[in-house]
Amino acid sequence: MSAEIILEVKNLVKHYPLTSRGIFLKKEVGVVHAVDNVSFSVRKGETFGLVGESGCGKTSTARAILYLDPPTSGEIYFEGQEIGRIFKSKNHQDLLKLRRKMQYVFQNPYASLDPRMTVADIIMEPFVIHKHVPKEKWHNRLYELLELVGLEEYHAERYPHEFSGGQRQRICIARALAVEPKLLIADEPVASLDVSVRAQILNLLQELQQKFGITYLYISHDLSTVRHICHRVAVMYLGKFVEIAETSELFNSPLHPYTQALLSAIPVPDPENKRSRIVLPGEVPSPINPPKGCRFHPRCIYAKKHNCVENVPELVDVGKGHWVACNKVKR
Amino acid sequence: MPIKTNVLQSILYKIKHMAKSSMAKYVLRRLLYLIPIFFGILIIVFVSTRMAGDPVKLMTGLNPRITAEARERLTQYYGLDQPLYYQFLKFVWEMLHGNLGNSYAIRGGTAVTTLVGDYAWETFKLQLTALFFSLLIAIPIGILSARKQYSKLDVTVTTTSLIGTCIPIFYMGIVAILIFSYSLGWFPYGAAHSLDPSRYPFGSYLLDELWHLFLPATVLTFAELAPVVLLVRSSMLEVLRQDYILAARASGLSERTVIYKHALRNALIPVVTYVGLYFGGMLAGAPITEKVFNWPGVGRLYVEAISKLDFPVITGITVFVTLMVLIANLVTDIAYAYIDPRIRIE
Repeated sequence: MSAEIILEVKNLVKHYPLTSRGIFLKKEVGVVHAVDNVSFSVRKGETFGLVGESGCGKTSTARAILYLDPPTSGEIYFEGQEIGRIFKSKNHQDLLKLRRKMQYVFQNPYASLDPRMTVADIIMEPFVIHKHVPKEKWHNRLYELLELVGLEEYHAERYPHEFSGGQRQRICIARALAVEPKLLIADEPVASLDVSVRAQILNLLQELQQKFGITYLYISHDLSTVRHICHRVAVMYLGKFVEIAETSELFNSPLHPYTQALLSAIPVPDPENKRSRIVLPGEVPSPINPPKGCRFHPRCIYAKKHNCVENVPELVDVGKGHWVACNKVKR
Repeated sequence: MPIKTNVLQSILYKIKHMAKSSMAKYVLRRLLYLIPIFFGILIIVFVSTRMAGDPVKLMTGLNPRITAEARERLTQYYGLDQPLYYQFLKFVWEMLHGNLGNSYAIRGGTAVTTLVGDYAWETFKLQLTALFFSLLIAIPIGILSARKQYSKLDVTVTTTSLIGTCIPIFYMGIVAILIFSYSLGWFPYGAAHSLDPSRYPFGSYLLDELWHLFLPATVLTFAELAPVVLLVRSSMLEVLRQDYILAARASGLSERTVIYKHALRNALIPVVTYVGLYFGGMLAGAPITEKVFNWPGVGRLYVEAISKLDFPVITGITVFVTLMVLIANLVTDIAYAYIDPRIRIE
């Protein structure tokens, strides 16, 4: 892993308009603050984890980075290039180049494969789009990719519905790899799979990283898989990053009260161990009207002491690349 | 845009896939199923028409000088004095030899096969034209409406479609005739041809045919348009939400290819089912439309035959329509399995 930064996100904001259907036309009645002012950078060749409860903006962040859902504001730099400009310029060639470098693996492998295409069609489609593989080598490359993700040659002519969830996710990974990407955004790639299959897919992802040096942005709510696969982890709460750190650092000495509560919820496979679980009061507030000040303050025991209702904590470096956004933590 | 080099390959894959699912066996089994269904329908219609009344009485009722003996002779002539099972078996025997008998009243004594053939062609002409244009218009509108969900365009389209579905076709037809035939005099009031060749526009038979076809076909097109628009729209909305659409965008495909290749191909699956089932039914003709436009089609013939208790014509049309509906359903099922690989034919 090098210190070179491959992806840099600056002040990313993604708001969704909240509309209600009037008698004839919709009208805007509010805004969902899915992602609010998020900044982070991913180093080349690392696995950067993004964790948080469902609805905290992980997927919105990922989709905004790939411009599948264009961000409301903010800048995204990929290998030093501001990609928003490329997407807005509509220059087809530049856009294709960019698409080749960044790929996405979806959460639900049952919905992310076109049911009317064979596996061969699905995996070879990028060749047609990007023309980076000479035509006579398409089939060779197809079989290479299938082997790479642990599928057999005869699988090529089958349809997605003939496969199990784990196999489908392998097809999705093969499709993503077909363009030889530099960055792979894996949006909960194992969340919808059986526990027995999860480890296989995670190991496959790790193997591929070792072989090709692909950078991963790994999104999950499952902390044990994050610990297994990620080099660095960012914790998200209600559209904001609350803590970023190396994996071991984060799991050993979490600083933000939310991270502490999250980590205390990981089950420990030891019946003797009496865990001290931190149970947060209340529910996650609505992202339509997020709390003022620190977004976590309504559920935080330290909120009164540090006047978090008014003071908005910024992400600050506390050393060793450990960033945290909490008023309690001394700079 | 489309993967040309892959077309052959994907067709080969599809054929292999279908062979695997033992398509031939399936078709054969379905064809065998058709036989009892066909005869079941035939028996019901055969018996129920003969319970409806006595055609000889209807034919001779207005003639005060008819003798009982003459009536007897007519009944014997039509074979109506025989027991029902004998009549039925005789009818089946003749049918298997390609003979559906002769009509009693409509174009007196014409072979039913000729009669149905003539009228069916007119029905086909009208219905296929309407279906073709309604699909041609409805699919792009449905797509557009789905892509811009809740926009002004979408609201206009859905509202109009809903109104279109609600207006009965006889009303639409009569209004159209009132405006375009009666007031403006642009189109004929009805029928499929001018009786007098001197009235052909520019002396052309084809132009005359199109001139007569235009109004009923337009009204039918509008009537059929609305449900297809709504179906395409909802099906497209469903598909556009799927992750594989996002995946297609992420792989760098242009929006047009994403919509027309990935989304539309999947969104059309329910539309094919709808059209297939509709196709079967429409061969029975649209009695109401055909009546309004005085169109010489199967539907109008059916109504006429029933009102005159013309047994051979009623049963003849039943044979024809039943066969068509059954075949259309079978073709739909096969097409469905072809376009949607998830459907397994067992």
